[in-house]
Amino acid sequence: MIPVEHYVALSALLFTIGGVGFLVRRNVIVALMSIEVMLNAVNVALVAFNRLPTHNNAHTGQVFSFFIIAVAAASVAVGLAIVLSLFRIRRTVRSDEADLLKN
Amino acid sequence: MKPFLDLFSQNDFSLIAVVLLMPLLGAFVNGVFGRRLGKQAVRMMALSAVGVSFAAAIATFVALNSAIDATHAAHGEAAHSKLAWLAWEWMRVSGPNGSKIAIDLRFSVDALSGVMMLVVTGVGFLIHVYASEYMIADKGYWRFFCYLNLFIFSMLVLILGDSLPVLFVGWEGVGLCSYLLIGFWYGKLPNAAAGKKAFIANRIGDFGLIVAMFLLVVYCGALDWDGIQRHANDLVATSDRPGPINLWPIGGGKFEDYVIAGIRVPLHNLQPDKPWTITAATAVGLMLFLGATGKSAQIPLYVWLPDAMAGPTPVSALIHAATMVTAGIYLICRLSFVFVLSPAAMIVVAFTGAATALLAATIAVVQNDIKKVLAYSTVSQLGFMVLGVGVGAFTAGFFHVFTHAFFKACLFLGAGSVIHAMHARIHDEARSQDMRNMGGMKKYMPLTYGTFLASTLCIIGFPGTSGFFSKDEILARVLIETPTGVKLANAAAPWQWPSWAPWVLWMMGVAAATLTAFYMMRLVFQTFWGDFRGWTIGRPSQVAKSEHESDHGHAEDEDAEDGDHEHHDDLSQPGPPPHESPRPMTIPLLILAAAAIVAGIFNPAAIKLVVSTFSFLPLEHWLDPVFKDAARGITMAEHHTAHTRELISTFGAFTAFAAGSGLAYWVYVKEKGKPAREMMLKVPRLYRLALEKWRVDEAYDKTVVAGVDALADTAASVDQGIIDFILARLTALIVAATGTILRVFQNGVVHVYAAVMVVGVLALGWFFVQPHADFTVVEQNGDYTLQAGPGPGYEFRWYPDATKDPQTKDFSVADNLKVHVADGKSQTVKLEVKNAFGRVGSKAFTITRPATPTSAAGAVQIREQ
Amino acid sequence: MSAMGYAYFYLCATFAILGAIATVAAKNPIRGAMGLLLLILSIAGLFLALHAQFLAAIQLIVYAGAIVVLFLFVIMLLGPSASTPSDHRGRITRVAGAGLFAAAGLGAMALLVGSAPKSTIGPTGYPSPTGDFGSVDAFGRILFSQGLVPFELSSALLMVAIVGAVAVARGRHKSDPGAISGAATLEAENVPHAGQAPRTAGGITREAP
Repeated sequence: MIPVEHYVALSALLFTIGGVGFLVRRNVIVALMSIEVMLNAVNVALVAFNRLPTHNNAHTGQVFSFFIIAVAAASVAVGLAIVLSLFRIRRTVRSDEADLLKN
Repeated sequence: MKPFLDLFSQNDFSLIAVVLLMPLLGAFVNGVFGRRLGKQAVRMMALSAVGVSFAAAIATFVALNSAIDATHAAHGEAAHSKLAWLAWEWMRVSGPNGSKIAIDLRFSVDALSGVMMLVVTGVGFLIHVYASEYMIADKGYWRFFCYLNLFIFSMLVLILGDSLPVLFVGWEGVGLCSYLLIGFWYGKLPNAAAGKKAFIANRIGDFGLIVAMFLLVVYCGALDWDGIQRHANDLVATSDRPGPINLWPIGGGKFEDYVIAGIRVPLHNLQPDKPWTITAATAVGLMLFLGATGKSAQIPLYVWLPDAMAGPTPVSALIHAATMVTAGIYLICRLSFVFVLSPAAMIVVAFTGAATALLAATIAVVQNDIKKVLAYSTVSQLGFMVLGVGVGAFTAGFFHVFTHAFFKACLFLGAGSVIHAMHARIHDEARSQDMRNMGGMKKYMPLTYGTFLASTLCIIGFPGTSGFFSKDEILARVLIETPTGVKLANAAAPWQWPSWAPWVLWMMGVAAATLTAFYMMRLVFQTFWGDFRGWTIGRPSQVAKSEHESDHGHAEDEDAEDGDHEHHDDLSQPGPPPHESPRPMTIPLLILAAAAIVAGIFNPAAIKLVVSTFSFLPLEHWLDPVFKDAARGITMAEHHTAHTRELISTFGAFTAFAAGSGLAYWVYVKEKGKPAREMMLKVPRLYRLALEKWRVDEAYDKTVVAGVDALADTAASVDQGIIDFILARLTALIVAATGTILRVFQNGVVHVYAAVMVVGVLALGWFFVQPHADFTVVEQNGDYTLQAGPGPGYEFRWYPDATKDPQTKDFSVADNLKVHVADGKSQTVKLEVKNAFGRVGSKAFTITRPATPTSAAGAVQIREQ
Repeated sequence: MSAMGYAYFYLCATFAILGAIATVAAKNPIRGAMGLLLLILSIAGLFLALHAQFLAAIQLIVYAGAIVVLFLFVIMLLGPSASTPSDHRGRITRVAGAGLFAAAGLGAMALLVGSAPKSTIGPTGYPSPTGDFGSVDAFGRILFSQGLVPFELSSALLMVAIVGAVAVARGRHKSDPGAISGAATLEAENVPHAGQAPRTAGGITREAP
């Protein structure tokens, strides 16, 4: 079996990649996708921890990641709607041009 | 009928719901849909609502009668029984000594409220019929009937409520309806002002009622009638905890000298030898009576009632004569057992009533507006009722409520009929109500004249009419009954009336009765006798040009919406004579006049003087169980004296009637009003003063209203200077300045926000990466238990003695440690914590135990190293 | 067996990292979406190795089937505007924030790996889970007993998200038939000027003479 630390390390790496992508990229769609990457990274960690013998065959981590998937779906739906709406107003999908609330 | 009434049990008599809710339904339908329904539908709805309510009230009354008969048969004597219906449980409040007082929305009918219920629904129905014709031309027809039905509902809640809070709901409801109806034609400023005045005057009374409720909760621990009655004696008991109420020093404190900066303030002079106290019964009685003065228009709050005549005449008849204004007397009757406990409160009630009767009568003598005269006459008659209940003659006072409802409603409706006729000729509110423009109306409107004369004879006490019996009864009772209070073992002896009080009250009453006879006959003579003086009113020769034009325009407006009035735009020609009112207006008049004449048979006590064996007093027997508890606080004169005094009183009352009406006949018929004019010229200032209602309103304006205005001005300047300026503007300025600074950071670039967030996340992350060793120490007899705080993935290693090896070599999940420290010793304990990231933190403590072995729980001193 | 297991893990992990990098680094959002798809598939594979069969299925259905498709749909809808040209505006903050974040993330990872007890590294493994761990049966039983309230709440959340998405995407002009679907409006707006007929009353359009 693979030690759980491997999974956690992979999860941390994916999370970092997603976070960096979110911080660097100005394309809102890509930023949204980066968020999905981060959520997936978290899921990996949760499911891996769920396999520890201390959890005694409980499904806590898996159930938790199930709800994360549900929340991710919701956030993507709303996020993409906002992208469309932003595009209609500003004719752009660049996050730094969406500054209607500036000052 | 019996099988139908058997459907309802005595304690769940849901027929009361029909009585109550039909008018509410009418109000709802008329108020919500009335505008679209059209006048005929509104009329039908309003009349059927009150009509059904009246029918259900009759059925309820029949059931009540049989219930009382049944109790009578069971107990052998007349006992207090009632029909009750619980709508729902309203609330529970904390009472004295931790008890809970259940306040239920419960309604009940007993002998007293049963009669009131019949009067309200019956007279109310007749007035609805009358109003449905009187108001037919008004644009706000639906609104009017919505209010009127709502009024009937509120009045029924007031009457049928089984506890003070429920009564209070109705009390406020009728106040609201009264306000809405006085200001019904709210487009005119005086009407709106009159409505406001009524509302505010009533509020002052409501304050008294609320205070009385609080006192009753504290002293009696109950607010329903039965509960108050059970615990009424607690109001005067000295042994109970609340005890009497301290007036001075307020709240029962003690004044002692106060030294400030070496100066002695001699406050002890303010301390009386014995604290001034009144019993709670007196306080409750006076507060309830304050409520009654508001609603029943007694001194000092009577000023709203004459102004209330700004409303439509049927409203004046229903609300401001027959029903609502008697609510105060009803309240006193209802809580008679509280009032009789305090002769001091009773004397205030009695003298206020007598003074109101007299004062209002003097004003009524000189008024020219027909409705104003009737309004002051109402105030005066209410004074009579209050006088009656004030001397403990609750039956007599209530009987006057009963008879007054009929004849005063009839008088007002008759006046409305006259105004209706006058209005056909004179399109001016004030002049069409001025008696100087009337005269000779008996020729044109015989039905109105007949009914008006009948009810006038009632009110002035023509022998044999209902008014004679009821008013005579009040005057007689003033002389033969005196409230002496109740002597209780655990209470101080009640204060007693001075012996002159009944005679003074009686003379005031007789004087008021004389004036009543005079001004009422003056009203009849000026309005209905002689020749019609209205021919020349409103003609061009009498009216200035501009006024003429405005009248002209008004007439056209009226014509547009009101076809059946015979208006003549050509004012140069004499108009048609006044005409009799249509049938829906005259039939209620006839019924009310008939009722007014014969209502005396319910309590013709005066016949006893002639036929000593006479004992047909249905109302007295009917109400006897209600007032039985109150009767213990009333002392009747000894039988022989009583008979003599009754004779004196009846003679006085008859003299008052004869003198007053005879004088009026001499002045206004024989001499055609000449003596009155001479009198007017002889004492012009007195005349003006009376005409201006003794300038009471002006005095109130100068004192109370001016005081409130000054307070309001002060408050306004505080509001503008401190609240608005310092608090509001300054705060806004600070907020705006801070906002201007902070706005710079809101540059709208998401990446900057995200970068800043990363910094925060880093800080949090650092906090979690660091291990935080911490524990709490609990001591018991030298055994110390150390409990480590939790954290992510924490494992612990304990050093019971920091200088030696750890307890276990490896880190473990054991998060507590027990050590024993002997007396007077000290020991250093150390904890090492390793978290999920493998980082280790530590914390050490020195535990020192004091050397005194006697102290079981030695103080623990913890010193961090 | 254990070597196979390691090989499988590292294969999936490599693809996941490649997918993640492709997602965040791709110039063209379509390629990014494809990277996301690769990541999702690899993670589903990892789930299988972790005895989370049901979650693996969900991962495929919801992420690959719905979310990635939704992304693709929006990217198609936006057309060429979906990819943005790069420039240097705000570069310092972006790079600084990302650098901080990367340092923190990698630091945390290093801490974790460094602190791992040496004894658990190596093919000692955990005991195989009992019975039907991770199956639809077991998972559903837990979900509908202990997790019932959050499950129902998540349905409410999805409902609200749908309503919110419709409301936001639809725009303000409720009476304007063109705005009923965001897609129609966007398509109309994306068309260059030549095809854009000004909307006039009565359906009369201006014709070139």
